[in-house]
Amino acid sequence: MKELKLLYLYPDMLELYGDYGNIQVLKYRLEKRGINLIIDKYSIGDDAPDFASYDIVFAGGGADNEQSILSKDLIKYKDSIKDAVEKGVFFLLICGAYQLFGKYYKGVEGNIIPGLEVFNYYTVAEPDRKKRCIGNIVLSVDLNKFKNRSQTNNGVNKSFENNNEENSNLEKSIKAETNKFETEVIGFENHGGQTFDIESPFGKVLYGNGNKFGDTEEGYFKQNVIATYLHGPLLAKNPKISDYIISYCLERKYNEKIEIEKLDDSFEEKCREQLLEKFLKEKM
Amino acid sequence: MYNLLVILFAKVLNFFANILCKILHKNNGNLLGKIVKKLSPDILKSIKIDCPVIAVTATNGKTTTNNAIRYMLEQNGKKVVSNSEGNNMETGIITTLIKACTLTGKIKADFVTFEVDESYVPVVFKKIPLSTLVVLDFFRDQLDRNGEVESLILKINEFLKTYDGNLVLNNDDPNVARLGRANENNKNVYYFSVDKYKYATEKEVEAGEGKFCPFDKTRLEYEYYQYSHIGKFKCPKCGYGEENLFAEIKDVDLEQRTFKENGITYKTLANNIYTVYNYAAVISVAKLYKLDAKEALKTFKLDNGRAENIEVNGCETIINLAKNPTGANVSLRTLNEDPEEKELLFVLNDKAADGHDVSWIWDINFEVKNVTRIVTAGTRAYDMAIRIKTSGFDADKIEPYLDLKEAVQALYRTKTKKYVIANYTALQPTRKEIFQLGTVLK
Ligand SMILES: [Zn+2]
Repeated sequence: MKELKLLYLYPDMLELYGDYGNIQVLKYRLEKRGINLIIDKYSIGDDAPDFASYDIVFAGGGADNEQSILSKDLIKYKDSIKDAVEKGVFFLLICGAYQLFGKYYKGVEGNIIPGLEVFNYYTVAEPDRKKRCIGNIVLSVDLNKFKNRSQTNNGVNKSFENNNEENSNLEKSIKAETNKFETEVIGFENHGGQTFDIESPFGKVLYGNGNKFGDTEEGYFKQNVIATYLHGPLLAKNPKISDYIISYCLERKYNEKIEIEKLDDSFEEKCREQLLEKFLKEKM
Repeated sequence: MYNLLVILFAKVLNFFANILCKILHKNNGNLLGKIVKKLSPDILKSIKIDCPVIAVTATNGKTTTNNAIRYMLEQNGKKVVSNSEGNNMETGIITTLIKACTLTGKIKADFVTFEVDESYVPVVFKKIPLSTLVVLDFFRDQLDRNGEVESLILKINEFLKTYDGNLVLNNDDPNVARLGRANENNKNVYYFSVDKYKYATEKEVEAGEGKFCPFDKTRLEYEYYQYSHIGKFKCPKCGYGEENLFAEIKDVDLEQRTFKENGITYKTLANNIYTVYNYAAVISVAKLYKLDAKEALKTFKLDNGRAENIEVNGCETIINLAKNPTGANVSLRTLNEDPEEKELLFVLNDKAADGHDVSWIWDINFEVKNVTRIVTAGTRAYDMAIRIKTSGFDADKIEPYLDLKEAVQALYRTKTKKYVIANYTALQPTRKEIFQLGTVLK
C-alpha cells in the first residue's frame, strides 16, 4: 500500500481559521484512492523534525501573538527547512505560515519579526489594525506553470495527460493540458499583512484583494510550494489543487508515472458553480 | 436636566412607537436606544437604579442563562427588569431601561438582569452600577477570527481591576477563571464548577481556546475535558486552576436530567452539558442572594432554537442554534449521546450577521453516531456537504439543497427522529419552514 507522510507544524498555535481542513481533505482524497496518509505533528518543545524525510509539510495561520512566539522556534530549523524545499518536499503554507517563510514581517509598531528567508518576499503590517483584507476571494491559477516540454514525457505532470492525446501533436497536447490546468481557486482571505516582492504568484486575482489591498496577484507558487492567504480551507472547494499536490508527491516519492483515480466531486463542482457565479457577478 | 428631558422625550416617543408597532405588527428593536444615545451619549448615567444589577456575559449561553436568572428571580416573587436577545449592546440596554423607567428616569424593580455582549461590558458598566457579573465562557466566534478572543478577555480584565462587586466565574474555563485575579482586593469572587460527566474525555475532541496558562504561558494539563476546552485543568508551573468552589455540580445525569449541588437534587429540562453549566451559574446567583433555584429550574423552558424540543406531524424534532464551532459541537454531542436512530438537518448561511467566512465549519467534530441521513441547506449548503463528506460520512447519504423549503420537505420524507442545527440568520427561517409543515406539538 502506498503512503505519504505529512508534517503538521504547530497544530496548537496555527489553528485560527480551520486550516486543518486542508489536511483532512488530503487525507480523504488519498484514502479514497487507497493511499495512506501519515500525519506527524510538531510544536514547541517537541524533538526536532527531519523535514526532508516528509512528502508534505503543512502550516496554517494563527493569532499575531502566537505567531511571534513560534517564529523564534521555527527559525532554529531554517537550514533544514531550506534543504527540504530544495530537495522537493511539498510545502503548503497558509496565511501566517506564508508570511513566516519570507524575509521578515514588519509589525504595526515597526518591529521586525525575522522570517525563515526561504523565499525573498517580505510582509508589512497595515498600520491601521482595523483595516484588513477580509472577504471571499477568487483566483485564476495555472497549475501547468512549472511544466516545460522536456517534462512532458518523463516528468512530474504526466499523470494529467488527456485521454485523447494519442493522435494529437505535442503542441496540441500542451495546449489542451494548459486549459485543463487553468482553474479558478475559491477561498477566503483575512489578513492585515501586505506582502511585497513576489517573484512567482500563486494566482491572478479575479475577485478580492490578494497579496495587498486591491492587488492583481495572490500568494507565492513554486512547483513544490503553495504559499497563500487563502482560507476556506483552501483545498475544500478546489479539488484540482489537492490533486496537483497529491500527484506531485506520489510521483516524486515513487519516481514513476502515477494515474490518480478520478473521484466523485459533484458537491465540490456544484459548490464552485454556485459561488463563482455569485462572486464574479457581484464584481460586475 | 437635559438628560431628564431626553428621558421624557424618549418615553413619549416610545408610547407612540408602541402604538405604531402594534398597528404594523412590528418590533421596534433597538431603534429607541439608538435615537436616545444620539441625543445623549451618557444617558445611562441618568437612569436611577436602586436595586441589584446582575449581568451575564459569555460567547455562548448568555441568553439562556440570563433568561433562567430572570425566571428564577420571578419564581421567588421578585419584580425583574431584563433585556432580551439581540438587545445586548449599549443601545439595546438603553432601550430596555427607557421602556421600564418612570417619567423621571427611575427603575422600580427588585432586580435588573442583563445579558451583555462581551465587548460591551466595560462600556455599559462604566455608566450604570453593577452588583454581580457572571462570566460563563469564551470561545472563538466565527465573526472575530483574527485572534480577538484574547483582546476581548484583556478588555474585561482591565475593567475588573477596579471592580469589587460580585464576580461569578466558571472555574472550568481557563479563559474565564483567570478573571478572578484581575483585582486582588476583590473579596467577592465566586467560582462554580461541574464535576466530570459521563461523556467527558481525556483528550480534547473539539477545537478550543485554553491551551496555555494566562499567567506564565505554560501548557495547561487537563484531567478531563467536558466539551471543547471546558474541563478540569491545572497549570503545572503555578497551580492555576485550583480555586475554592462556591457552587459545585455533581452527579450529572443527562438521561434523567438531574444533577446535585450541595446535597440538593435538581431536576431540569436540560439534556446537555453546556446547559448544566448555565444552570450552575444560575444556582450561584441564587445562592448569592439567598434564593431558591430548585423549583425554578424544574420548569424553566429552553426555547427559540435553544435545544427546542418539538413534535412535527408526530416526528420528534430537536432544534439547536449554532453560531460557532463550539455551539455546533455541543449540539452534535447531544445528538451522539442519544442512542436512537436519527437524521440531521444542518443549515448554514453566510450573511453579514453570520460572518461571510464559513471556514469555522472545519473546526466542527463531525463524527456522528446512529445518523442515517444528513440534509444540508442555507446559502452554503454545498460547503456543508463537502465538510461532512470529508469527515467520512457516506456521501450518498448527504442531500444538499440551496432552497430551504425543499430541504425541510426532504428531511420529513421519513419518520426518523430529527436533529436540526442552524446558524444565526438561518435559525428563524428554518423554524418557520418546519412549523409550516404541519401539526407542531411543543
Ligand atoms: Zn501558570
